[in-house]
Amino acid sequence: MKRPVRLEPGQKLVLTANRLLDGRIVWWCEGGTWDLHIGRAALLDADEAEAVLARVVAEAQRDGVVGVYDTAVQAAVPPEPVTVREKIRAHGPTVHPEFAVETEQ
Amino acid sequence: MSIPVGHYQYDRVDRDFLQARIAEFEGQVNRRLDGTLSEDEFKPLRLMNGLYLQLHAYMLRVAIPYGILDSRQLRKLGEIARRYDRDYGHFTTRQNIQFNWIRLEDTPDILRELAEVDMHAIQTSGNCIRNVTADEYAGAAADELVDPRVHAEVLRQWSTLHPEFTFLPRKFKIAISGSPNDRVAARFHDIGILARPGEDGAPVFRIFVGGGLGRTPVIGEELFDSVREEHLLATLEAILRVYNAHGRRDNIYKARIKILVQAIGVEAYREAVEAELGQMELDRYRLTPEAVAAIRARFAVPLLEAPDDADAVLTQQRRDDPLFDRWVRSNTHVHRDPGHIIATISLKPAGGIPGDATSAQIGRLADLADAYSFGEIRITHLQNVVLGHVRKDRLRDLWLGLSEVGLAEANIGLIGDIVACPGLDYCALANARSIPIAQKLGARFADTALQAEIGALRINISGCINACGHHHAGHIGLLGVDKRGEEFFQLTVGGQAENGAAIGTILGAALPEDETVDAIARLVDCYLGRRENGETFLDTLTRLGHEPFREAAYETV
Repeated sequence: MKRPVRLEPGQKLVLTANRLLDGRIVWWCEGGTWDLHIGRAALLDADEAEAVLARVVAEAQRDGVVGVYDTAVQAAVPPEPVTVREKIRAHGPTVHPEFAVETEQ
Repeated sequence: MSIPVGHYQYDRVDRDFLQARIAEFEGQVNRRLDGTLSEDEFKPLRLMNGLYLQLHAYMLRVAIPYGILDSRQLRKLGEIARRYDRDYGHFTTRQNIQFNWIRLEDTPDILRELAEVDMHAIQTSGNCIRNVTADEYAGAAADELVDPRVHAEVLRQWSTLHPEFTFLPRKFKIAISGSPNDRVAARFHDIGILARPGEDGAPVFRIFVGGGLGRTPVIGEELFDSVREEHLLATLEAILRVYNAHGRRDNIYKARIKILVQAIGVEAYREAVEAELGQMELDRYRLTPEAVAAIRARFAVPLLEAPDDADAVLTQQRRDDPLFDRWVRSNTHVHRDPGHIIATISLKPAGGIPGDATSAQIGRLADLADAYSFGEIRITHLQNVVLGHVRKDRLRDLWLGLSEVGLAEANIGLIGDIVACPGLDYCALANARSIPIAQKLGARFADTALQAEIGALRINISGCINACGHHHAGHIGLLGVDKRGEEFFQLTVGGQAENGAAIGTILGAALPEDETVDAIARLVDCYLGRRENGETFLDTLTRLGHEPFREAAYETV
C-alpha cells in the first residue's frame, strides 16, 4: 500500500517518470501529456494524486514512460522540487550547467 | 590485423558469439518497446547487457577486461561518446567506461559498433561474475613476479556466460595481481588473487575471499596460500559453488559472499570448498600448461628496444625542466626494462570531474598510445590511464602531447588524485553529490607543488552507502548522507586498499556539505604541522591516533 503523502503548507504533488525510449526525465501535464520541463507539470493536491497516479501508471506503456511516481514541490511558478534529488532531476546534473534542462526546447 | 599488445586477440568464435548476443538483445529491446516485455521483465535482461536506467537517462557500462584495451578500441569509445552520448565518457573504479546519456533504441547499434573492435557490455551488471580487474602495471612493472593478464584472461573466459553462475545471490568481483605490492585492492574483493612463482617456477596463487566495501566493509581473509595453476579454475569453481548454494537470497543487503564468510567463518568456508573439490571431476577443470600457453600466444609481446642513453636523456630533461620533473616524480613507475618507464595519465584535473574524458581527449590518448606505447592503454581502478611501455628518452614528448589536451596533471597518488563515484548528479541510488565536493577539493589543493609537499594522501568519495567511491579504503574517506533532504558528509580516516588493507574509522558526526572542504583542509594542516621526517599522512595518523585529527576536523563545529 502506498504511504500517505504529507505535504507542508504551500506544497503540491507532481508526477514524474523516465521516458522509455531515451530514459529522459519527464513530468506529467494537464491533458495527459509528458514534458521535459517541470514548469509545465500539473500540480496535484494530495487527496487527488493517488487516483491520478494509479491511472497514469496504468497508461505508462502506452505513453512510453517507465517508473512513474509522485514527488512534492513548492507550488511556485515554476514549481520547485523539495529534495536535492528531485531538483537535480528537474534541472539536470549540477556539474554540467550546459546540460541544464531549461536550455532544451 | 596484427595481434594487440596487452590483451587477448578475438577469433571468429568470439565475434560470432557477440553478433548472436547483440541480435538477441535487439529482439529484447524491440519487445520492450512494443510492450511485449514489461519493465520488470526487461530490467534483468538489459542489466546483463550493461544497460542501467539512471537518474537522467540510460547508462551503458562497457567492459574493459582487466582494464586493458588497444588504440582502435579506445578510438571507438571516443566515437561512441561523440555520436551517441554527450561527447564524454566516465572511467570507473572497475576499470570500465560508462556513458551517461544513452538512448535505449540506440543500444543495439552501439553494441554493434563495440563488437567491430571486439568489445561488449556483457556482465558489467547483474548478479554474475563482473569484469575481472588486474594490476594496471601488469606485464610492465619491475616489481612484478607473475604477469597476471594471461590468468585474468583465463578467468574472463571461464566466467563469461558461466551457466552455473549467471544468477548468483549477488554480484561477484574478482581481482588478480602478480606483484608483491597489491595494486588491485585484492583484500577488498569477493575473491582476490595474488600470483607468485612457485618453487618449480610455475605460478601459484594466494586466494582471499569475502572482502568488500559497501554497507558492510570487510577485509578479505586468506582461503588458500598456494593454489597451483592447474587447480586455479577448480578452486574458483568450488568457491563459487559454495557461495551459490549457501549465500543468502532473502535479503539483498546480506547476499554478498562476505556475509556468508563472516557468518560461518573462513575455516568452515575452506572446509566446504575442500569438500566440494573432493567430489568434483577435477580433470574437467584442470588448467593445463598447453591451455595457458594457447591463451598466452594470443597476446603480443612488445619489442622493448631503447637507445643506450635513454635513461641519461631522461635524467637531463628532468634537470632542465622542473615541471616535467614533478610530473615524472608523481606519475611514473619503474619498468622491468631499464630503457622504458610506465606513465600514469591523470584524469583528475584540478576542479575537474574524476574519471571523465572528452571524446577529443580519448582520441588523443589513442594517438599517443600508438606513438609511445605500442598502441596499448590501461584503465586503472583509481580512474586514471596508464601507458605501460614508454621509452625513457621519449617520455618528455609524451608529456608535452598530454599537456596539449589538459592531461598532464602531476598528481598521481596525491591529494588531487581523488576517486569519486558519479553520486547524486547521475546515480539513481545516491544520497548526495560526490563530484562537486571532489571538484571543490581538487580546486582547494590545485597547486601541484603543495600536493607534492603533502605527499601520499588518497581521498575517496562515495555518494551513498553502496561505496562505489571506495570511501572505506581512502586515507580520508567521505560518505555522502541525506539529512532531511540536505547533503552531509561523514568523514573516515585511515583506510587503505593495498598490502596493509584497512577500513577507515569514522571521525564523528557528518558535516554539512559547505563545511566539509574546510574540515578536510584542517585535517591536512594537522598532519603537516605534526608529521615527523618522512612520514606520510597514514604514518602520522598511526603514530598520533585519531584524536588530534578529530579535533581538527570539528574545530569550529
